[in-house]
Amino acid sequence: MSSKTAESKTLDSLKDLMLKPEKEQIQRIEDRLDDPMVRAKEISQTLPEAISLSIINNNKLSRVIQPVIDESIKVSVKNNPKALADAIFPVLGPGIRKAISSTIMGMIQSLNQMLNHSFSIQGLKWRFEAFKTKKQFAEIILLHTLVYQVEQIFLIHRDSGIVLEHVVTKDAITQDPDLVSGMLTAIQNFVKDSFQTDDEDGLETLRIGSDRSVWIENGEQALIAAVIRGTPPLNLRIKYRELIEEIHIKSGAALKKFNGDSLPFSIFREQLKDGLHFQEKVNKKQISFLTWFIIFLILTSLGLWGFSLFKTNMMWTGYLERLKNQKGLIIVSAQKNQGIYHISGLRDPLAKDPLNLLQKEEEKRIKITTHWKPFYSLDPGFILQRAHKLLKPPSTIKLELSGNSILARGKASQDWIETFQKTALTIPGIDGFEEGLIQNIDKEKLNNTVKGLMAIKVYFENNSTNLVKEQEQRLTQVYQKIKAIQMLQFKLKEPLQIVITGHADSSGTEKLNLKLSRNRAENIFNYLTGLGINSSFLTISGVGNNKPLKKENDKDDRQYNRAVSFDTFYLLSTKGS
Amino acid sequence: MKKKICMLGAFAVGKTSLVERYVHSIFSDKYHTTVGVKIEKMQTAIGEEIVDLIIWDLHGEDEFQHVQLSYLKGSSGLIYVADGTRKSTLATALNLKEIAEKTIGKVPFILVLNKMDLQDQWEIDDLTLKDIEDKGIIVVQTSAKTGDEVKHTFQLLTKKMLDK
Ligand SMILES: Nc1nc2c(ncn2[C@@H]2O[C@H](COP(=O)(O)OP(=O)(O)OP(=O)(O)O)[C@@H](O)[C@H]2O)c(=O)[nH]1
Ligand SMILES: [Mg+2]
Repeated sequence: MSSKTAESKTLDSLKDLMLKPEKEQIQRIEDRLDDPMVRAKEISQTLPEAISLSIINNNKLSRVIQPVIDESIKVSVKNNPKALADAIFPVLGPGIRKAISSTIMGMIQSLNQMLNHSFSIQGLKWRFEAFKTKKQFAEIILLHTLVYQVEQIFLIHRDSGIVLEHVVTKDAITQDPDLVSGMLTAIQNFVKDSFQTDDEDGLETLRIGSDRSVWIENGEQALIAAVIRGTPPLNLRIKYRELIEEIHIKSGAALKKFNGDSLPFSIFREQLKDGLHFQEKVNKKQISFLTWFIIFLILTSLGLWGFSLFKTNMMWTGYLERLKNQKGLIIVSAQKNQGIYHISGLRDPLAKDPLNLLQKEEEKRIKITTHWKPFYSLDPGFILQRAHKLLKPPSTIKLELSGNSILARGKASQDWIETFQKTALTIPGIDGFEEGLIQNIDKEKLNNTVKGLMAIKVYFENNSTNLVKEQEQRLTQVYQKIKAIQMLQFKLKEPLQIVITGHADSSGTEKLNLKLSRNRAENIFNYLTGLGINSSFLTISGVGNNKPLKKENDKDDRQYNRAVSFDTFYLLSTKGS
Repeated sequence: MKKKICMLGAFAVGKTSLVERYVHSIFSDKYHTTVGVKIEKMQTAIGEEIVDLIIWDLHGEDEFQHVQLSYLKGSSGLIYVADGTRKSTLATALNLKEIAEKTIGKVPFILVLNKMDLQDQWEIDDLTLKDIEDKGIIVVQTSAKTGDEVKHTFQLLTKKMLDK
């Protein structure tokens, strides 16, 4: 035991010897850990670093500490409301003022717009739209004006005006951002100095032209400047406000010791890009009057062209229809080729000229070439027409078709009747003819002349072959009639014989009377042949008083039987009169 | 890397001309006074490092128009320009240096004596120059007209800003 105590004593002194400094150190650490005051002192030294680390590390501390702060604020307010009111009053005042003034600014702005638009053409258009859609006019204005595009966003180092980060929409036309940012900063400085505003924030909005503005959200070290076209909603500002605050929280230190190297701020690029807000116009693109006018012109000319095409086509089909209905034309093909209409087919020479069928207006529009092959149309109209053309009937004749036979009706000369007989069957489309209804003028003339001749008696003196005086007239008539008969019979090819019959009165012997009557006929025969009448057509006979021309009741009646009479008969005739 | 620098000095000393010469390589005899501020940008390189100089060409200082001090904020470097043919402009430049340092603190700078092509009208003697240089101020004589030393001046300032 004692040896053990001695042993432990030596060990202790050895320990003391070897580990004394460490021992004291441990003792001190123990003291420190045990003494809350010392610990508090130490933590207070590292707390700021710890907090800033925590901020970098997802801001965990804020979340953890938040309920505590909430609670302590509650307690504080409960116990001493005045203290908090005093504390936040300086913050609250400007804050409220700012909120109110921006609201009023907004109101003034929209009132301005409302007034502007009330009296412009645009305004009238919108009024009409409001009326049409039954919306409020103000709503329509909002619809049209709440259209904007954030074209560029600058993150600018506030003092130097150097661009830390810059984002831009694809199609915005931009100047060198460094120059723009520099000028913006210079303007800011100038305004602040010139108007001696005590407001740290200075310039908030710049208007450029009628629809471009620059919104500036100031932070302590940096600012966000957004170049906006159109009229953005006010809450966009809040977004930028939050963003600039976040940037300060995350990179406040880097901003403070900024020396021209903007690389560390590229981490905000995506967030800034998110700030490139826009709102599309409801009715995307206003089509200009000119565009409408051009569209109108195109449509109109298309329409006119189409209409003209349609009209031409209508005319063409109409014309074709007429051609098809035209007698004596057979259309084999009809095509349009390079604007020209080609027609080919068969055409009766008697058919109307197809080109003459084009009306004036059609002629202007339709260009036509035709190829016709001649043919005979069997249309009754054409056959009849053709017959007329070939037969040339006198006006007293009417031609008719009965089936394929042609029939002539009316008066005609022997000559024409012969033409008819010869030609009828040569007419295309005719295979028979009928002449029975034709009155032969020449035959009638012959009959009449014969009748006239038969009515004439030439008288002689008693018991003599001498003519009773003053009968020259009568003889001339006889001559003329016989001459006419001879011509007609020749024409008619009817071998008509003229019989000259001599008569005697009842006085005297029969033998003598026969001789006397024959001599009297011969006397006339000689007279006629002497004038050139062909004797072969003449026959002489003497009948004495066997065929008295008048019954002799007294002496005066005898003179009637001292005469020559005329008669006719056909030789070898097949056709009798 | 981007650096803001300011051109400071009395009116008509050639601030705008120096910037125009440096950025666009042009020079004009016509004098158009600068109103407010004109900003230009020029890329240069010091070794591997590429630097975009954002050059603020301020209006000239005179008795009626004082330099807008807020324009100086955030500058990484300054060029004070004086006109070698007008001695008073040198005083203006030095005076501006005092004011600027009070406003934004010490930043790299260069004092430029411009219009060195007009030697016959030169008003600044070597003694005055030596006094200034003794204060540790870098002085460069330039001519915006001929382009002498212009590029070098900006280059020098850039280098100083990076070394800082
Ligand atoms: N000969 C000569 N003339 C110069 C030179 N630099 C500038 N000038 C002339 O000096 C006049 C003023 O030049 P600016 O560059 O406009 O001067 P500034 O300092 O910008 O003037 P403010 O803007 O009014 O302050 C112009 O007529 C220039 O042509 C130079 O190096 N040589
Ligand atoms: Mg100038």
